[in-house]
Amino acid sequence: MFSLGFINIPVLAGKYMKNKKIAIQVDDLTVAYNYKPVLWDIDLHVPEGVLMAIVGPNGAGKSTLIKAILGILDPIAGSVCIYGKPYEKQRKLVAYVPQKGSVDWDFPTTALDVVMMGTYGQLGWIKRPGVKEKKASLEALEKVGMLAFKNRQISQLSGGQQQRVFLARALVQNAAIYFMDEPFQGVDATTEIAIINILKELRKAGKTVVVVHHDLQTVPEYFDWVTFLNVKKIATGPVKEIFNDDNLTKTYGINYKVAVNK
Amino acid sequence: MTSPQIEIQLIAAVVAIACAIPGVFLVLRKMALISDAISHSILPGIVLGFFITHDLNSPLLIVLAAITGVITVILVEAIQRTGLVKEDTAIGLVFPALFSIGVILIAKNANDVHLDVDAVLLGELAFAPFDRLLMGGVDMGPKSLWIMGSILLIIIALLLLFYKELKVSTFDIGLSSALGISPMIMHYGLMSVSSVTVVGAFDAVGAILVVALMIAPAATAYLLTSDLKKMLLLSVFFAIFSAIAGYWMANILDASISGSMTTMLGIVFLLVYLFAPQKGLIAVLYRQQQQRTEVSLLTFLLHLNNHSETEERHINHLQEHINWQKVRSKTVLNLALKNNMIEIDENIVSLTEKGKEFTDLALEYIITNKDEKIEPMKDDFFLFRG
Ligand SMILES: Nc1ncnc2c1ncn2[C@@H]1O[C@H](COP(=O)(O)OP(=O)(O)O)[C@@H](O)[C@H]1O
Ligand SMILES: [Mg+2]
Repeated sequence: MFSLGFINIPVLAGKYMKNKKIAIQVDDLTVAYNYKPVLWDIDLHVPEGVLMAIVGPNGAGKSTLIKAILGILDPIAGSVCIYGKPYEKQRKLVAYVPQKGSVDWDFPTTALDVVMMGTYGQLGWIKRPGVKEKKASLEALEKVGMLAFKNRQISQLSGGQQQRVFLARALVQNAAIYFMDEPFQGVDATTEIAIINILKELRKAGKTVVVVHHDLQTVPEYFDWVTFLNVKKIATGPVKEIFNDDNLTKTYGINYKVAVNK
Repeated sequence: MTSPQIEIQLIAAVVAIACAIPGVFLVLRKMALISDAISHSILPGIVLGFFITHDLNSPLLIVLAAITGVITVILVEAIQRTGLVKEDTAIGLVFPALFSIGVILIAKNANDVHLDVDAVLLGELAFAPFDRLLMGGVDMGPKSLWIMGSILLIIIALLLLFYKELKVSTFDIGLSSALGISPMIMHYGLMSVSSVTVVGAFDAVGAILVVALMIAPAATAYLLTSDLKKMLLLSVFFAIFSAIAGYWMANILDASISGSMTTMLGIVFLLVYLFAPQKGLIAVLYRQQQQRTEVSLLTFLLHLNNHSETEERHINHLQEHINWQKVRSKTVLNLALKNNMIEIDENIVSLTEKGKEFTDLALEYIITNKDEKIEPMKDDFFLFRG
């Protein structure tokens, strides 16, 4: 234990890493669609308890990276560990919010029902959600300020409300690591603040939160850790140390300032 | 009613329910076309099974046909994965190919046996009661009732066991997979069940009615509810209703039973499509009309709110100020009056207490976009229903 920590400290980013376990470890990960790689040889070590942004241009492979970590896609090479074990063994430690556009919001179901889906992982196959699951789901809805909408059909919710419902669903998973794919997409300023406050609370509680993020301006304000991604990993580490022009240029090309100020 | 009549209706109802349940998930997964593909491409499986057993009701037929059905799905997905063509194109490539293999097999080998394409495609419910299941010489009832009854029981059992898994893997593939509820297993499970159902129903009602029974009740129910359980129940209801009503229609018109049932499914869908309270065409058009009026009302109220000078609020000036035609102004004025939002005193319009409150709330909503502010107003006003 001791010697492991000793070796890790200089390799990873200095003082932030002291006594921190590695929550997510990705080694040599290559992912392809139809044999065409969209992520090349990714190495990524995310320490426990950080609030990390994944940034990169459209099509950089951000969603693909998360899906590969969660075993939704099979990589053609490399490995992923969640707290030292393969994802399949650690499912219950992980919560996931997919990109909003990846589901059909006209699906006949209510906000509460969607949140309940977060409990299905703990339940396992066949077992049905009961009173306990319902109570937890209602609490999660309350936490994101959506209790009043619990019986609303999901297509009747605004974009921001749909995103809140997704967040509640992740909260009810009661995980150690949260992956969120563009949780701020299409939400208004109030909702954005509400969401980031909840994410910061999660970090305070010792959880690790990974967020695909588009608004470069807010990165230093919202996050303490960042990964630059564009097909390859450009850089990963504390925002204070690596969120700079150099890495932004490498990730977005010379026009990154447009991206920052858009 | 004679006993064959009762039996025909019973078979029709059982087939209808067995088709409607997987149909709900096919419709929600936007895979309606796949059921069509399966229903045609299982032909070679049926033909092969028939050559082996010489019995259209043999369980082997069902198994072979179900396997062909799943092969269809696998082929469609493999072609799709090449990224060269879209799903509908892939379906269009696969099922005619498999279907024609079946047709060629029949043409080459089945001259001496009773198996023609028409019979397979159209089926004839009227004959179903005459194919009896005999056990030790005792008449146990129509064979197809036993086959479809067993399939229906399996479907209901699977639905009850895997309802939650079906729901999450249909709604959110990513989450489902991350939770360890393999969408692949659910997908091929559903495909297998659909194939078995199609094959089982085939002999009794024919391919065309099978596809109609899978898709139409689910599509109809979808227009009426926003709850998956209710959608399942409504689909089952519409399926049974169309089956029985279709049977009597055929009886009265002396027409094909399968054809009449398909027609009935179409009629029910059309009626619901027009008259469904929320998603129906008429409701949608009415709502759009309402919305237009309510946007006008709000504009009008905001105008009153913004102007204290009387000349801006004179009833005759409003028209030119807000730039509306006479009819529209009158509608809006009446609407506001009816809701006690304005009062008119010597042709000067002013907001009432209620009108002011409403305008303030609406303003706050427009600025903050906070839905809870207007929650209580939603029932009265279409505008805020999103
Ligand atoms: N299902 C898919 N099939 C084929 N290519 C895909 C698929 N999903 C994503 N891609 C491609 O992979 C690349 C990375 O996509 P994605 O991970 O969604 O990027 P990001 O989330 O960073 O915008 C893009 O070029 C995209 O076109
Ligand atoms: Mg993405």
